[in-house]
Amino acid sequence: MGWAEARRWSDVAFGEVALQAIFAFRQGNLPAPEDPHRIVRKARRRVVQSKAIISVFLALIALVAAVALRSAGTIVGSGFVPSTLAPGLFDAGIVTGLLSLDIAFLWWTGLQVLPTFLSAEVLPVLEPLPIDDRTLRQTAALLYVRLFDLPALTVLVATPVFVGLAVGPWAGVAVVPGAVAAVAFALALSLLTARFFVRRVQGARGGGGSTALRWAYLLLWVIPAFGLFAFVTAAPALFEALDAIALRGPSVPAYLLLAAFPFALASLPAVAAQGPAGFGLPTGGVVLGAAAVGYLALAGWAVVWTLRSVRTFGLAPALAPAAGPTPRYDVHPTSPAWAVLVKDLRIASRTPGYAFLLLLPILDAAAIGLWTYASASAASAALALGLAAVATAALLATFFGPAFFAIEVNAYSYGRALPLPDRAVLLGKVALVALLYLVAAGIVLGLSAARVFDPLVFAAFVAAELPAVVAASMLALGILFHRARRRGLPIVNLYAGTWYAVLVSIPALIVAGVPLLIFHDLSAAGAYPGLAGMGAGALAELAFCAPFALAGGST
Amino acid sequence: MEAHVDPPPLAIEQLRVVYGERPAVDRLSLSVRPGEIYGLLGSNGAGKSSTIKSIVGLVRPVGGSIRVFGLDPIATPVAAKAQIGYVPETSLLYEALTPREFLEFVASVRRLEARAASERIAAYATAFRLETELEEPILTLSQGTRQKVLILGALLHQPPLLVLDEPLHSLDPRSVRIMKELLARYVTVPGRGVLFSTHTMEVAEQLCHRIGILDHGVLRGEGTLAELRGRVAQGDATLEEIFLRLTEEASGVAAAVNALEGR
Repeated sequence: MGWAEARRWSDVAFGEVALQAIFAFRQGNLPAPEDPHRIVRKARRRVVQSKAIISVFLALIALVAAVALRSAGTIVGSGFVPSTLAPGLFDAGIVTGLLSLDIAFLWWTGLQVLPTFLSAEVLPVLEPLPIDDRTLRQTAALLYVRLFDLPALTVLVATPVFVGLAVGPWAGVAVVPGAVAAVAFALALSLLTARFFVRRVQGARGGGGSTALRWAYLLLWVIPAFGLFAFVTAAPALFEALDAIALRGPSVPAYLLLAAFPFALASLPAVAAQGPAGFGLPTGGVVLGAAAVGYLALAGWAVVWTLRSVRTFGLAPALAPAAGPTPRYDVHPTSPAWAVLVKDLRIASRTPGYAFLLLLPILDAAAIGLWTYASASAASAALALGLAAVATAALLATFFGPAFFAIEVNAYSYGRALPLPDRAVLLGKVALVALLYLVAAGIVLGLSAARVFDPLVFAAFVAAELPAVVAASMLALGILFHRARRRGLPIVNLYAGTWYAVLVSIPALIVAGVPLLIFHDLSAAGAYPGLAGMGAGALAELAFCAPFALAGGST
Repeated sequence: MEAHVDPPPLAIEQLRVVYGERPAVDRLSLSVRPGEIYGLLGSNGAGKSSTIKSIVGLVRPVGGSIRVFGLDPIATPVAAKAQIGYVPETSLLYEALTPREFLEFVASVRRLEARAASERIAAYATAFRLETELEEPILTLSQGTRQKVLILGALLHQPPLLVLDEPLHSLDPRSVRIMKELLARYVTVPGRGVLFSTHTMEVAEQLCHRIGILDHGVLRGEGTLAELRGRVAQGDATLEEIFLRLTEEASGVAAAVNALEGR
């Protein structure tokens, strides 16, 4: 026994994790009537595809960072970055952003896959077998690493390669400790927070207070996805702060900055390339060196802790119900369509993947709303930003609409045994999309109210786009339902049918986008002609899409 | 003048279900009469669950017909499913919901009145000792507790036809006893019927008015216990003996045991 044996076990177990991640059979999805071996192969292939997509994204982030590092001469002093900023500090700032985003996206990936890792129950299957303790621990560790392998490898390879190409070979070598620490901390953070989510979100009891708490946790979960947006938005302010600290010379803030993660490790390539003189923060050698060594040691400990803890995590008994709640028997039945909407919101409140889809348009609107409030100086600019936020929210809500269909995969087969007309399911999902859009629009209006001097135009814009959002989601969901009826089986699992969900999103995005283009073209003649044209276009789309979507449902 | 005859709770004619090349159910015909608990008995993979999934619309048959109180579940699925209470063989539930949230969803889909639904939930939850679990996510519940939630979901609207796929699976002995009593009384209400799949002979023997023995998708025998005994020409045969005789597995059992002992 040993690593070779552990690798063999992990290979078998990973096949099961892939199968459950893609097809969710344990959650009630029914297998399609095809060769089971083909289904297994398909699951493995799609897991690789998913990893590849995340890896490409991580590589792109590294490439963008490299382009920024390469263009330092142009960017510094451009207004985006103060002209007094030392080149080394600029490099360190960019690499800090890169490493932060690497951690954020690896963490986000972990939070997505770890609940599936648990629900696949591969470790509890292995545990009673006559396999020695060490091999079981190694198997669990290998399985965990395999969840992240391609994205983690991308960070470990792309970061030094791109930084090396942009700044110089020694800088490429010097960024390796930062990349290693980013991967190590992301893997540990994933495990730590996954435990937390499994206990406090998935396993949380019903009731109003608990629901509010769950949504608060889920907001935290969405933050990594906003890392990129936040970094780009906050970059000028961060560079200004860096410059201000550097100009003060040796000071407590300078030492604190040098000791902070990931700045300490992100500074190493700049020091390697520019030398201590060009780095910009004086007398930081000892602090920087000590911090870098300390973080590397911590990263090593994080790796050991993670690999040792995976087995315990994977074996943790699902969740024990808490004792002693006061029994509540009252239920309040509603219409089937409304019940679908409420069910989806309740499922999303314990399922980070779905919560993310619901929260993204809303958080996007909130971020742009805040930006509007904080930065826009003229009322017209504020209004333009507000309208852009609502337009983005409309497009995002529409784009994710098909994914809400995928919630039906959870116990889909039970849902299909109920006398639930397709029309009710479709209307419930469409109502969810419309609700997201309206909440997002309300947040933008609320946040930018002080600066939007023409709330009537804003409200009319929101109202004129609403029929297009409804039409777009009806079109996308209508296509999915028609296909489901024809095939007689659930067709879209968020992972298994991603390509199809993306495909149906394209016509939906067009439908949601056309009225926005009409507004853009006609608003030169004034806001109200633009709004009238937009509203007319949106209503025409709804008149076309609604009969298509609502036709032919089961009776 | 022709007398009006109410359609039976369930009538299946020449049903065929095929997975890929393999027929799971082959020209199966059976019916559940009013006031009857019909037991569908078979080994693993005999076609019991495929038959049941066809009735509730989860599997699309390639041939034959199914009628639920005269309604075709393929042509009029919503109307047919409204007559059925279904317990699946595996605990297919929305795991992120609590049992109370799940039952509220079921009550909404079945358009039940709030008070009646709440009272039934209270009564069944108390009977099955589910009170403390009603507010916990289904994800956290044991297999047996999930099974109880499914049973509540099936009984909530007091359907005229219960379609139960291994419903006693993983229930504790007390709940099994309650369930048996409940089903026996359930069919005393005029017009109701129960289709009950199991491979537990004792349960089928105790509970079912008629039994159908399914083997490789084919109905090998059907009738009351006395009628089945008559078919194997053995007046004191147990249901297990009848089952093994009709499925021609009796000799196979001895051969398998001998092979295991190396004879």
